[in-house]
Amino acid sequence: MAFKSRISIANPETAALVADSFVPSGSRDKVIVEAYPGPGALTRALMQLPKERIRKIIVLEDVEQYLNFLNPLQEADPRVQVLPMNGFSWDTYHQLDVQGFLDDVENIPWNQSNPYLHFISHLPMDVLGEQLLAQLLRCAPEQSWLFKYGRISMSYLMHDWVWDRISASPEHQARCKLSVIAQAVSEFNHTIDPQLLVPYNSHFYPDATNPAYSLKTENRRRGTPFIAGTFRPLEHQIIQPGMLDKWDYCLRKLFVLKSTPLKDAVGHLAPGSDALKSYLAGDDVPPDQRTDMMKSIRKMSVEDWAAVVGAFDRWPFAPEELLITDSFSRDDRI
Amino acid sequence: MEKGTDRVHPTASTYAIMLLAWRRFNPESDTPVHLSDLPNPTTLLSNLIERDISPTAVVADRVLASSEEASEIIKLLSKSAVDLNHPRILAELGQAEFLGSHVPDPLEGVPEVKPVLRLAVQTLDENGNVIPAQSEEEVPFNLDNLRKHLAQVTLARRVLPEDLASRQKLLEESVYDVAVERLRHEAKLFDELGLGNRELHHADLQKWMWDWHQKLKTRLEAEIKEIIVAEAKICKHIRACQTFLATSNQVQRMGPFLSLVKPEKLSLITILEIMRLQGSGGVSDGMKTARALLTVGRAVENEYKAEMCKRNHIAIPSHARPGEFTGYFTGLGYKDLHARRMTAAKYMEDSEEWTSEWTQVLRVRVGSILVDCLMDSATIERTAVDKRTNEEIKENQPAFYHAYEYVRGQKLGVIRLNPVVSERIAKDGLRETLHPRHLPMLVKPKPWLNHDRGGYLYNRSAAMRFKDCQEQQTYLEHATSLGNVELVYAGLDVLGSTPWKINRNIFDIVLKVWNSGERLCKIPPAAYDQPEPEKPLNMNTDIKAKSVYGARLKAFMQDKANNHSDRCSVNYKIEIARAFLGDTMYLPHNLDFRGRAYPIPPHFNHIGDDLSRGLLMFGEAQPLGEQGLRWLKIHLANLYGFDKGNFDERVKFVMDHLEDVYDSAEKPLDGNRWWTKADDPWQCLATCMELHAALESGDPHAYMSSLPVHQDGTCNGLQHYAALGGDVKGAAQVNLSVTDRPSDVYTYVANMVEKVLEEDLKNGDKYAAMLSGRVSRKVVKQTVMTTVYGVTYIGAREQIERQLKDRKDIPEEECWGASAYLAKRVLVCIGDLFSGAKAIQTWLNLCARLISKSIPAERVPDALQAPKGRKKNGSSLPKNRIRKEQMSSVVWTTPLGLPIIQPYRKTKRKQVMTSIQSVFISDPNAPAEVNAVKQASAFPPNFIHSLDATHMMLTALECRTQGLTFASVHDSYWTHASSIDKMSEIIRDTFIALHSSDVLEKLATEFRTRYASHKIPPDIASQRKLLKNLQAAGVRIVASSEQANALRLGGFDNIMDPTQTETPKPKTGKRGRPMKNVVMIECAQNDVSAVMDHEEGDDDCAGEDDVDSILVDKFVDLSAILPPLPKKGDFDVETIKQSQYFFS
Repeated sequence: MAFKSRISIANPETAALVADSFVPSGSRDKVIVEAYPGPGALTRALMQLPKERIRKIIVLEDVEQYLNFLNPLQEADPRVQVLPMNGFSWDTYHQLDVQGFLDDVENIPWNQSNPYLHFISHLPMDVLGEQLLAQLLRCAPEQSWLFKYGRISMSYLMHDWVWDRISASPEHQARCKLSVIAQAVSEFNHTIDPQLLVPYNSHFYPDATNPAYSLKTENRRRGTPFIAGTFRPLEHQIIQPGMLDKWDYCLRKLFVLKSTPLKDAVGHLAPGSDALKSYLAGDDVPPDQRTDMMKSIRKMSVEDWAAVVGAFDRWPFAPEELLITDSFSRDDRI
Repeated sequence: MEKGTDRVHPTASTYAIMLLAWRRFNPESDTPVHLSDLPNPTTLLSNLIERDISPTAVVADRVLASSEEASEIIKLLSKSAVDLNHPRILAELGQAEFLGSHVPDPLEGVPEVKPVLRLAVQTLDENGNVIPAQSEEEVPFNLDNLRKHLAQVTLARRVLPEDLASRQKLLEESVYDVAVERLRHEAKLFDELGLGNRELHHADLQKWMWDWHQKLKTRLEAEIKEIIVAEAKICKHIRACQTFLATSNQVQRMGPFLSLVKPEKLSLITILEIMRLQGSGGVSDGMKTARALLTVGRAVENEYKAEMCKRNHIAIPSHARPGEFTGYFTGLGYKDLHARRMTAAKYMEDSEEWTSEWTQVLRVRVGSILVDCLMDSATIERTAVDKRTNEEIKENQPAFYHAYEYVRGQKLGVIRLNPVVSERIAKDGLRETLHPRHLPMLVKPKPWLNHDRGGYLYNRSAAMRFKDCQEQQTYLEHATSLGNVELVYAGLDVLGSTPWKINRNIFDIVLKVWNSGERLCKIPPAAYDQPEPEKPLNMNTDIKAKSVYGARLKAFMQDKANNHSDRCSVNYKIEIARAFLGDTMYLPHNLDFRGRAYPIPPHFNHIGDDLSRGLLMFGEAQPLGEQGLRWLKIHLANLYGFDKGNFDERVKFVMDHLEDVYDSAEKPLDGNRWWTKADDPWQCLATCMELHAALESGDPHAYMSSLPVHQDGTCNGLQHYAALGGDVKGAAQVNLSVTDRPSDVYTYVANMVEKVLEEDLKNGDKYAAMLSGRVSRKVVKQTVMTTVYGVTYIGAREQIERQLKDRKDIPEEECWGASAYLAKRVLVCIGDLFSGAKAIQTWLNLCARLISKSIPAERVPDALQAPKGRKKNGSSLPKNRIRKEQMSSVVWTTPLGLPIIQPYRKTKRKQVMTSIQSVFISDPNAPAEVNAVKQASAFPPNFIHSLDATHMMLTALECRTQGLTFASVHDSYWTHASSIDKMSEIIRDTFIALHSSDVLEKLATEFRTRYASHKIPPDIASQRKLLKNLQAAGVRIVASSEQANALRLGGFDNIMDPTQTETPKPKTGKRGRPMKNVVMIECAQNDVSAVMDHEEGDDDCAGEDDVDSILVDKFVDLSAILPPLPKKGDFDVETIKQSQYFFS
């Protein structure tokens, strides 16, 4: 992940506000896994919260410049463990298991939320940052990754641009695959008023670039406002275990035609997929269970999507290899 | 009597007598009788057909006494049959000939190529009895079709052994005509076999295609009628409205274009082209929509033109040279060449109907109508089992469907095949449908007469391949009409006239391996033989295991798909080789835009892989001689991979392995298979057999050998750079200077990299540990080779990744990371190893950069106008159009007179709405600004390629003059073993001739002349990086103090102030060329200020506003700012005469 896409909170007062909103009073004995701490302003703020709230902070950071600021924390506070690893790599979490850093974390059944384990991160600004969030959210239905300890919370400092996409309702222009997945697996909210985090330059590092001198689009430029938010997985996951690939496939294929009505778009899903129309709104479907085929893809609710994926799952001609359908890898010869 | 006026009906005997009369007394026979009304065989044949008399009966008639006369008459009639386009008659005659033939057929006893192991499905009739299928193993449709098409070639050979031109005509007959016949025939056959019964019917590709064709044909007939009616209405409407609205909103009418070719053919073109395209453009089981529409549109255009061409019976000018041939390189010879080509070209032009090119938009529109109809009407039936109820379910599904995919963030429309269809194709191997344009020729190619006339007799082919670039075509046409490129055309004719034949010994072995279905030496196995990656048990919980599995599975599927496509391509090679077994064949050549020559037939040619090369040998044989035998041995060592030693060592290597050579030649498959371990196994085997045959012949020196022996340039790009720069150090690295051992750059670099890895290993680098000891010459070779052609990090990484994957000792999921790491190390190591080449590269790059920034003087006032139109996003408009006017691409002329134009422009894509999706296509005729970055970065490699192409052409022409057989693969030159010494001399002479003419100096002069009036806009001052590079390259600018200040602000110091030195003396460069003074032009509009442009990658952005406002409107002469040539070193090209390993 590119170093220049890393943005960190810099103002200690703001960091304290954010830390308190992520781990509010009433929290007890939390184990925090913090990815992408940067120079560690947020980590410091977490350490300064009342001690009973947090029992351990595991810091994941592999950038050398930042580690110079983080390693002293580990020496100053026995609760802090700095690991020179990248929060984006699956191997990192595998190592957390193997090396036993999370051995003392309680396993809580899925019907209650896990009040102990908590994942906190600055979301890097580039495309990989979004990918990270999307992938972590996708772990909830399968109860994999840290979700094997139960319904744990995730808190992020992220671009408000990403937040807008995640929270976009069916009526909103920004509605996308990420919105559907995020809303299908979790509920989420701002933890502090976004107004407290602007202007950008008084709270974050590095400074904003002057838009006049940057060729980058707004969402990739330093200086776009940040927000703080927490995600909590839903108890009832509408995405059944093992169905994630099918959800991904349907979302990916149909969101290409995001303003086309479902009745016209469904034929582009797979060869012969026009047949799904009868699964969704055929005469033998009870009228109250029929899907509105006139809705455009963007306007579909999570329930509509569940119906489409369900039909896709029942359809005997659905493609099998969903992982590798977009196979543009051979070089372009002749 | 024959006229029917005598009320007597002519019989077969009548015609037999008349034909006999013609044979004995025709005007060209030994005993000519001049009867004005003696009907010729063609007239007779057409009458025959009219009266429905069988030609077999005629030939078999008792009037003909001797079988010699009978066969003569068969030939006469066959010739006429070809002229009249009657393949049926021809086939019948062939049969007749075959029945009475005693001539041994060269194909007799050759086993059939076994394409794919597919057992014919046994079919049951209504009573449950087994109906025997046609044969035990069905040949898949496409190959079947090809085989039958090729069988016509074979058939024609039986009947027309001498008349190759007629056979070539038959071969080039429209594929579509042939294909329709085939499909109809197959469908009929299936019906006869009682396959109409739905229950028993097993879906079959042929059957499907025939069904689609039936539906589509009808659909198109109706559709086109509708379109014509609708368009007529619109036109009327427009005409009626014209009095009110003076709009030029013309609707392009499609009806006329769709009516040019019959619906039946349109339908078939669409189906075959779409089937052929599947798997193209990196889309597995599909194709990009835009390409599909364009291709179908172009195929319709071509078919229309081919029909025109055929209808007009365009004659074939003869290839013979007049007796008093004076050689290519004399003034007289050149003039003669020009004159003869012009006469022939004129003749051709007169006889060809004028047909103009279609526009891209038109092609897309025609294509979209056809493809849309196809997607709408072609269906297949698919069955699947419902997972819940275990019921079998049938669905009628479209055979093709449209989908969108995201490729690197770009939305891309694709047309995909229904999985049932693609599965069938995987079994049947219909990857490309064959067009005669894709086959070698039986006669010498038509000499090149013009930029689009030459090569194939009836199919138009282009002398230069360019991708929709009008500019290149115009330059080439112009140069052709001026007579500047005679040598290039002559060179192409030389390359095309090299006779080839199939190496029967190799062919037999290849066929045996192929039919066994095993994997051996780049022949892929019939069934993919690698194990599928295992699914980890904890896949759903362990994310890491899942991602690793995903990567491995993806690679596996890719390899499997590649295996399939390899199998198909080898299949084609073998089929084509088989069809040409008894023939001498020719490969027509054309050029790419840099002047490099390529054979036109894509499937099977000597540029192809080791297998194709192994299957080919020269059509003529030469006695080996003593030197030839030695070169044969050296060639064998080279092919085996032992090419680092000196020549004596290589000969010794072969003599040491003589036992292996004999074993390979005698028992290629049952012996030790020594040859399979060679770098180029098939060519190695061919050479083993040749050497074995020569040594066993009793007199090896007299052995008639037709095996091509190669001489390869060692890193040819660097050789040219070294010669251009007179670089002594570089010359030594690439064997330009005299040594007793060949030096090998690749090994040198590989060793350097290994050393760096050792260092990294000490620091515990993961990849260094993984790669240490595995960086072979092979891993770095391609990257080193392409550095001189300006390979980027991205390209280098991909090359290295491919090599690492081939090694198979690096885990699949690590290859990306490892290659990224290694590519960086390799590029650093190469870095200053080639510093000599670097200076020239920089010079070429800077020149191109400046040219692409320049504007012709007459356009300067326009450039300062405010731009038209308005920007949508509300940002301020640039105040002038300078950017838009930067349209000069880099143009140069090769020493052979070929103009070369770099086609890189920022093409504007035009959106065309079609019923399938909207397609973006570029309009080659629309003016567009150049892509300066691409122009600059591609110029050095393109220039070097244009030089190596020139060297090759010169060598080809000189070889022809001295009577040597010659073929080439860019920088690998081939001839008979016995001629190697002679060719080596020619190679060196032509290289010296090329480089003694001071190529760079000529290029610089050409630039100064060609771009004499070109001006560089003042915003150059804002590009500090460019200025810095220019200064480093030694550019001096003369400027007034005011201008000088501005330039200094831009970081440029090398300025002379004319106020201080009244008349600045012209500086004389090292090469004796005076530096011109800079003229700063003042423009009228002083209040206009220039726009700032920030090139991506320029790291300094702020602070140029001041510079701009001062330098505004002050254009700089391009010719004055061109950097001086880098200093030439002391290396003397004449030295290479003594260099043994220059080409070896």
